[in-house]
Amino acid sequence: MTRGTLIYIGQRLLLITLTALIVSSIVFIGVHQLPGNAFLSERSPNPSAEQVLVHHYGLDRPWPVQYVSWLTGVLHGDLGESLVNRGVKITPLVLREARVSATLGFWAMVFTITLGMSLGILAAVKQNTLLDYVASFCAVIGYSMPSFVTATFLVLLTVTGFFAWSGGLVYENIGWGKPEQIPVPAISLGLLPSAIIFRLTRASMLEVIRQDYVRTAWAKGLRSRIVIIRHALRNALIPVITILGPITTGVITGSIVIEYIFGIPGLGKEFINSIANRDYNVVIGVFTFYAILVGIANLLVDLVYPILDPRIRY
Amino acid sequence: MTGIRFKSLVVTVAAAFVAMACGGNNTTGTGGAELAADQTLTIPIQDDVQTLDPGHVQSGVDITFTTEMFAGLYGLDNSNKIINMIATGQPDVSSDGKTYTFHMRKDAKFWNGDPIKSSDVLYSWNRAAALNDAYATVFQPVVGFDDTSNGKTKAMSGLSATDDYTVKATLTDAAGYWMSELAIWTAAVVSQKAITAAGEDVWWTKPDTAVGAGPFKMTERTAKASMAFQPVANWWGGSTGALKNIKVEIGVDQASAVKKYEAGGYDLVGMANNGPGPDDILRYKADPTKQKEENIYPAARTTWVNFGFTGSSPFAPKAGITPGQPTAGLSADDGKSGRNAFSLSIDRAALVDVACSKGATCTAATGGLIAKGLKGYVGDGKDPNAVFNASTAKADYTKWDPSGSKIASLKYRYNASAGNTKIAQNLQSQWKANLGINIDLAPSDFPTLIADRNAKKTPLARGSWGADYDHPQDWFDNLWTCDAAKVGHGGTEGYCNPAMDKTLATANAESIDKAIPSYQQAGQTLIDDNVDAVLFYGTQTYFTHTYVQGAGFNSLYDFNWQGIKILKH
Repeated sequence: MTRGTLIYIGQRLLLITLTALIVSSIVFIGVHQLPGNAFLSERSPNPSAEQVLVHHYGLDRPWPVQYVSWLTGVLHGDLGESLVNRGVKITPLVLREARVSATLGFWAMVFTITLGMSLGILAAVKQNTLLDYVASFCAVIGYSMPSFVTATFLVLLTVTGFFAWSGGLVYENIGWGKPEQIPVPAISLGLLPSAIIFRLTRASMLEVIRQDYVRTAWAKGLRSRIVIIRHALRNALIPVITILGPITTGVITGSIVIEYIFGIPGLGKEFINSIANRDYNVVIGVFTFYAILVGIANLLVDLVYPILDPRIRY
Repeated sequence: MTGIRFKSLVVTVAAAFVAMACGGNNTTGTGGAELAADQTLTIPIQDDVQTLDPGHVQSGVDITFTTEMFAGLYGLDNSNKIINMIATGQPDVSSDGKTYTFHMRKDAKFWNGDPIKSSDVLYSWNRAAALNDAYATVFQPVVGFDDTSNGKTKAMSGLSATDDYTVKATLTDAAGYWMSELAIWTAAVVSQKAITAAGEDVWWTKPDTAVGAGPFKMTERTAKASMAFQPVANWWGGSTGALKNIKVEIGVDQASAVKKYEAGGYDLVGMANNGPGPDDILRYKADPTKQKEENIYPAARTTWVNFGFTGSSPFAPKAGITPGQPTAGLSADDGKSGRNAFSLSIDRAALVDVACSKGATCTAATGGLIAKGLKGYVGDGKDPNAVFNASTAKADYTKWDPSGSKIASLKYRYNASAGNTKIAQNLQSQWKANLGINIDLAPSDFPTLIADRNAKKTPLARGSWGADYDHPQDWFDNLWTCDAAKVGHGGTEGYCNPAMDKTLATANAESIDKAIPSYQQAGQTLIDDNVDAVLFYGTQTYFTHTYVQGAGFNSLYDFNWQGIKILKH
């Protein structure tokens, strides 16, 4: 790794930190301007009890003071305590749930890249054949269906459908914790982006394999596999890598709905619940984490460029 | 047959009978049905518990688990009848109804083996009062509650222990409803040792420190992911029933929960206030094979349209009433024409059909504000304001607001959810169709609505109440007294009727049997004054596999885990 790359990484990490701080500050200020609080309930609120709670969480201080206190905590890795689920510390909760979401996201990306790229390459090499037409048709369906539609369909198929057809022997067990519970949600999350990757890979490959140097490689008698993978693919991948950044962001944010449908105890689900319950501390904690995650995902994508194209240097 | 062979045969046959009775992995349940070897009950809930500290618990989800983990002097059976737990029997009550003497069992223990004494009861009750959370008012009748709840004192002066197993409570006034309050979770006995060692805020969060005296204890908890419970070995209260494990999966939405239930992943759906969604309820209703797994119970919740009685509300008896001031008997009409118009123009059957998914999630209210099935319910069909009568409604409206000026800026406030939005839209369309008026809808989140309702800023809003225990005092004192009508208190209409308050004060001092007619009279007063337009009573639906016996809901709480069995399947 060159000195320039290290400096670039350092600069980007600083930028990510700054972005995360700005984003979470905006959210912090925003939620604290909302009327009411998380402690109100239908039963006649006890003003002094509510005051005790408000004081415990420091919500009775002026919000700039709260902000500084919160910021100090964040810099020490302490995202505070849940307002709704008493006694639950947010940092370990976010880390635990982030591991779950990361596992889901990782396998979704593996599915996305594997399916999208391999089909894209095949379709480009076998352009205008049955394989190309079928793959392209499936891709259109794939990116026309939002992930929650795919997820609902897969749940019906693999839970209710399989259970009924197999007499209760085979079915998808909704939830999390076992390896067999990963594939179906990962496919739900990864299907739409895989369609996008397929289209882009196919288009990019078609452009590259028509280049003179590739034609030369064919003419030299090199095997197809070497021509495609060693010569054509590296250049064809650059636009695909470019879009992996936003796709990763999409997978991260798209997991919110998938986690909800499959009952996966991840960060996305936590995000929805905390907004609905006015659990401000968790909202801010999750937002901060997401901002950092998206920044790091984009940085990793950018770091792949020099590997593919040595002309690119930081 | 020789004598020896005959004796051998008899012994063999007898041994066979003994083996059949005692051997094998499966045991016989009620009515001869065999119990499954694995007595694990697995259920889903959507959101994690907020707390399991009895002094803080207030949500329906939390109540289910707290009542199994903790025990007080009294509890409730599956029919909501008060039963003795740590108390040996009913208390000795003085003739003026102000002094209660409780006698305790000598064998009651926390699950960690620590014996329970009167000092533990005093600690628990004083702590709950000092925490001053939503249900601390359970101890409001006790002398010294105000000072303890306000932090001036650490203990209520009206509580004392005459010996290790006797607790004495002196009340400021006779309170016939107090026993009903003592049977709920807030009065449960907690371990001072465990709380002090683990910390006030977190003692209940870990299995090792969540020490209680109930029949079950928590054995596992991963926040926002799962919980598990097991029966307490050699529980002082007797049998803990057949269940050996209760597993709770947290964070499963309604639709996914039903799908997993149908795939056998859950034994039932509906416990802990986490029922299936209306679409699934209707689907089960329509399917003859699934119907037998569906049970729809009345839930002790009433929903109504709130009319404002104070400030600039067009429904007020007169303009400018300050919350807490009397609102009854101020004028010939007292604003009733307007309230009648809005109420009579609602076809509750149509509302329930459209907005409650053809009656899947509620039933039309015809018997007053206290929900059906509870003490104080006025009676089926006894609320004339709930009878749809468009022509009378229109006439009342025309008399009340001939120019339409009163409703010019009127909006219907409600907390936004899928169900509430359907109801609001249906109300809006019915008022349009039957009164010819357009009422704008103003959704907001629940905390904002509560804050505005309690500030008496909502002349027309969604109102609802779910009973905490089966006693009319729970409804009236929280919702319809002059004290409740003050700003910041839960009487969101601002309705204040001093004469009714006197009736209620008398009823509150009496035993429930004597007090019922007074409460019903008060309920009739609310109907006569048309305080709210009652819409519907809630329901609670369970989906239960046929191999699960003993699970259910009694309009207030889930049935106890001790009665649940998993049959062989």
